[in-house]
Amino acid sequence: MKGTKLSLGFSYVRRAPYQALAVVSVMAVSFFIISLLGVLMYGSEQVLKYFESQPQIIAFLKEDAKGGDVDALEQKLRSDGRVKELKRVSKEEAFELYKSDTSDNPLLAQFVSPTSFPASLEFSTYELTAANELIKELQSSDVVDNVGFTASVGSQNEPESVIGRIRNVTTGIRVTGIVSALVLTVTSFIVLLVIMSLRVSMRRSEIESMNLIGASSWFIRAPVLVEAIVYSTLGAFLGWLSASVVLLYSSPRIFTFTNPINVIPREPQTLLTLLAILLGIQLISSVVIAVVGAWIAVSRHIRFQR
Amino acid sequence: MLSVSNVTKKFGSIVAVNDVSFQVEDGEFVLLVGPSGAGKTTILKLLASQFPPTNGEIVLDGTPVHKLKKNQIPSYRRSIGIVFQDFRLLPTMTIAENITLPLAVHKVDRKEWATRVMHVASLVGIADRLNLFPSQLSGGELQRAAIARALITNPKIILADEPTGNLDWKTASDIVNLLNKINKEGKTIIVSTHNQEIIKSHEGRVISIESGSVVVDEPRHKNKKHHERN
Repeated sequence: MKGTKLSLGFSYVRRAPYQALAVVSVMAVSFFIISLLGVLMYGSEQVLKYFESQPQIIAFLKEDAKGGDVDALEQKLRSDGRVKELKRVSKEEAFELYKSDTSDNPLLAQFVSPTSFPASLEFSTYELTAANELIKELQSSDVVDNVGFTASVGSQNEPESVIGRIRNVTTGIRVTGIVSALVLTVTSFIVLLVIMSLRVSMRRSEIESMNLIGASSWFIRAPVLVEAIVYSTLGAFLGWLSASVVLLYSSPRIFTFTNPINVIPREPQTLLTLLAILLGIQLISSVVIAVVGAWIAVSRHIRFQR
Repeated sequence: MLSVSNVTKKFGSIVAVNDVSFQVEDGEFVLLVGPSGAGKTTILKLLASQFPPTNGEIVLDGTPVHKLKKNQIPSYRRSIGIVFQDFRLLPTMTIAENITLPLAVHKVDRKEWATRVMHVASLVGIADRLNLFPSQLSGGELQRAAIARALITNPKIILADEPTGNLDWKTASDIVNLLNKINKEGKTIIVSTHNQEIIKSHEGRVISIESGSVVVDEPRHKNKKHHERN
């Protein structure tokens, strides 16, 4: 019996190739954009995480700071619950870093020596709201010359402003992404509903005949559900496949452009896991769209039949 | 046995069937006759539970058809065979698949399908047409296929609504002969028709309907005189 419903469903798809093409195309375009929006939302989260986890605060030490006092400050910061990933950078290390950063122009390094660079303590915070407090505390320390905050976005260079700005952008992307995905999903649903209603309408006498030979409601609905699920999942798969190909093809450029932030995972396994999760979500959504759309389409036509 | 008692069917203010009563014994072949709009098709639709009567009772082998709930109707319909004037075969299925469809609906074991299809196809004379599509068959062959579809689940009663309405006299006569043959195998058959040739040649019971009411319900020999008078 299951075979009959399935074969009827597939025969419905074969019978109307252009309608099938229309609905699959709309679903594919929608799910292509939804896939890219999903990746964009993932990327924006990664940007926020990056800025939140980077060492943003640098306490430059005074030239005459005594080793014992610096050790005490370092120890105090290490035991501070707000501080994360503290690193002590000596004058020599700072010089080496400078040489590394200016390796494309060795002349620049010839005019400076390790004594030109101040030693520093670099760290980030678990909570960005703590950054300002720590900066104020360090500025009042006897061994600290000045305190720098490395991140800046636009004209903002205060910790809260920078992160607030990134948070706003991330929230904007997330809200825009979710709203766009909803609009596209609803559009796909309406297109599927219209096409399925048309298909059911064309099969009205067939449905009546099946009804009169004693077919149950499920027997009549099942082939229509199969047809809708084929359209919907095929569209979702093609949309996801296209987005995945675009993403994989452009990933080297994305890595270069967004370096050092991994807006998409660099490890192939993690990237494939992300894509698989996207596919799973989209296939489930497409089945839900298909089932609801087909159910409504059939119900509209068999509502008045006994 | 089928019992129709004081059945009335109204569509708004229009009375399609008015206080109709009759009984059909097992194995009878009954013609429902009357002009177009007399209410023949409405009576058959009431028997097939396509809609409930406004008043009255319909009981088939103890089943109160007038009281059936929506979810009980498919099961009831599986106990009857229905033949339509316009055949109602699914155009994208072969004749064999069309005949098989009720077996799928009835959840009959697949292993039995081929034997049963061949049996009914041979009975109605279309065994060599099974792999063709409806568009490749003549009107008479299509009606034979429709009758085969109605017979395949071995129902006790067959309802046929103007089964010869779309056919020429010769083909119509063949279909009536086929229905007679099926009746002789023990099936109860109720056919609606306004074809005078069929009515004249029918040897069984004839129920005449006019304006939704039964005007004559007598065995053939008495009914013949009534029709000859008119």
